[in-house]
Amino acid sequence: MASLSSRNPFRKLYSWLPIVLLFISVLNEFDFNYLNLDYFSFNFPFILIFFFTLKDFKYFDYFLVFLAGLINDTVVGLPLGISSLSYCLICIATSYLRNITIRPHIIKDWFYFLFTISLINSISYSVLNLFFSYNLDLVNYVINNFFTFLFYLFFIYIFNYYLKGVND
Amino acid sequence: MASSRDDFIIAIRSAFLKKSTQQKFSLLTLVFLSVFIILLSSLDFRAVRYLKIGINEVVYRSSFLVSIPENFLKDSFIGISDYTTFFKDYNQNKKELSKMKSNAVSNNIIEFENKELKELINDYVSTSNKILAKIIMDHDSPFLKSIIINKGSKDNIKIGTNIYDQSYLVGRVIEVNYKTARVLLLSDLNSNVPVTIAPQNVQAIITGRGDNFGHIKYMKDGFSNDLNNQSIVYTSGTGAIFKSGIPIGKLKIKEEGSTKKFHVEFYSDFTQLKYVFAEVIIKTDIENTTQNTTNNQNSTPIDVKLNILEDELKIVEDTKLKFKQENESLKKQINNLNNDILDLKNNISLQKQKIEQSNLDKKEVEFLKLNLYYSHKCRRSFFNTKGFTVGSDDYRNCVLNKGRKN
Repeated sequence: MASLSSRNPFRKLYSWLPIVLLFISVLNEFDFNYLNLDYFSFNFPFILIFFFTLKDFKYFDYFLVFLAGLINDTVVGLPLGISSLSYCLICIATSYLRNITIRPHIIKDWFYFLFTISLINSISYSVLNLFFSYNLDLVNYVINNFFTFLFYLFFIYIFNYYLKGVND
Repeated sequence: MASSRDDFIIAIRSAFLKKSTQQKFSLLTLVFLSVFIILLSSLDFRAVRYLKIGINEVVYRSSFLVSIPENFLKDSFIGISDYTTFFKDYNQNKKELSKMKSNAVSNNIIEFENKELKELINDYVSTSNKILAKIIMDHDSPFLKSIIINKGSKDNIKIGTNIYDQSYLVGRVIEVNYKTARVLLLSDLNSNVPVTIAPQNVQAIITGRGDNFGHIKYMKDGFSNDLNNQSIVYTSGTGAIFKSGIPIGKLKIKEEGSTKKFHVEFYSDFTQLKYVFAEVIIKTDIENTTQNTTNNQNSTPIDVKLNILEDELKIVEDTKLKFKQENESLKKQINNLNNDILDLKNNISLQKQKIEQSNLDKKEVEFLKLNLYYSHKCRRSFFNTKGFTVGSDDYRNCVLNKGRKN
């Protein structure tokens, strides 16, 4: 019965849902610009990648994450490879955290997430500014960082619910 | 201490190199690959450029498809918010339309004048052709404000092509693919547009900061005092990046303490764009002018003098011929006039004769009339011995005098 359910295409799609969601989010960018909320922005792919790589979710392939980064660069108009590097660095950070953590704690993960995305955004800002002469607003980066940090808790609640469903 | 450092190194090494059973690549490989791609994209190789164009085409189309649900939500949201302000907008639009109609006429005249003057200044005529382009992506990130349009190199779009919303400037093309192009909006931080602020005629540069309005920068000190909220901002054409005279927005002055901040409220709302116009410019040289100038440049002074003399000779010959022709025609006219005079003289003499004849006839008629009455008084007869012989001059005089007069 269990083998039957794993062969079910809906079940398969459900298992691949995080990666599908990642691709949709990089292609579409949930920006909510039409709400005309000043400075409001958050980086959904960062939350998604951080959570699922931290959980070592087997359907979350690093290479697909790398590809999603390339697509994100194309959509946003950044030099190719910047987002891929950022996403891969998140994967490295989560892999490191997984290796050193014996008893995971949500608050610790949350603040580690803040540290990781701050570091990655700093690297991204520096590379774009120094090597590609892009004029970027640092305030926007800080706000984006802050909202991404805030939304992490909200999304991990949903993702945990999803993981429960997959494991069951 | 040493063991904790070893643990750290082991954890790092594991993070970089360890692959799970499902992973095909280690993270270190992917990081190197990312860096390699960044380096390649910074170097402008032809192969990389074509690869990038290919990726862009596929990704933009896919993004358009994926964005359909979000766009639907977005359109619904905008639609609902539009309905709430529908009547107010309608009245405002009505007023604006009547104003614009009157302005359109004078604008057309100015446009023609402008075109003529440009033709005089330049040795080429630029014919612009605006093509309609659909926006397939407008997910402007908080860091970069750009849109993707469905026109590319296939439609003669080039890097730097000006993009309009109706007649208002929206931005310029910064990346061209075969069937798509990326447009950098005026609100982007990387956008710098040289502008003129009218009617004060102040030159400045506006830049975006990710907001829905532009910021004035690089304006010379002292000029800012004359500016007011009614000032209009349009492109100056300096640097030849943007065409001159394209309206951008209205100036807004914000006073923050003792300092004034100048913002430009764009005429176009970049978040509501669906279709834009891309201006494809075709330059055609004015051939005659250029040919003449090149001929003049190649010839020597003697040739020039000879040319002038030849021209003069030609002119003299032409005038001589003209004079001859005129002379002949005048002669003909004189002959004709003489003939006319002769005819007229003949006519006059004939008329004189006729008049004389008629006078004679009149006298004769008068004489005959009087003769009927007074012949018995003037004719010599038995009873009138003092009379005259009929037919003599005395008899005639007597009749005309109505009898003898003693």
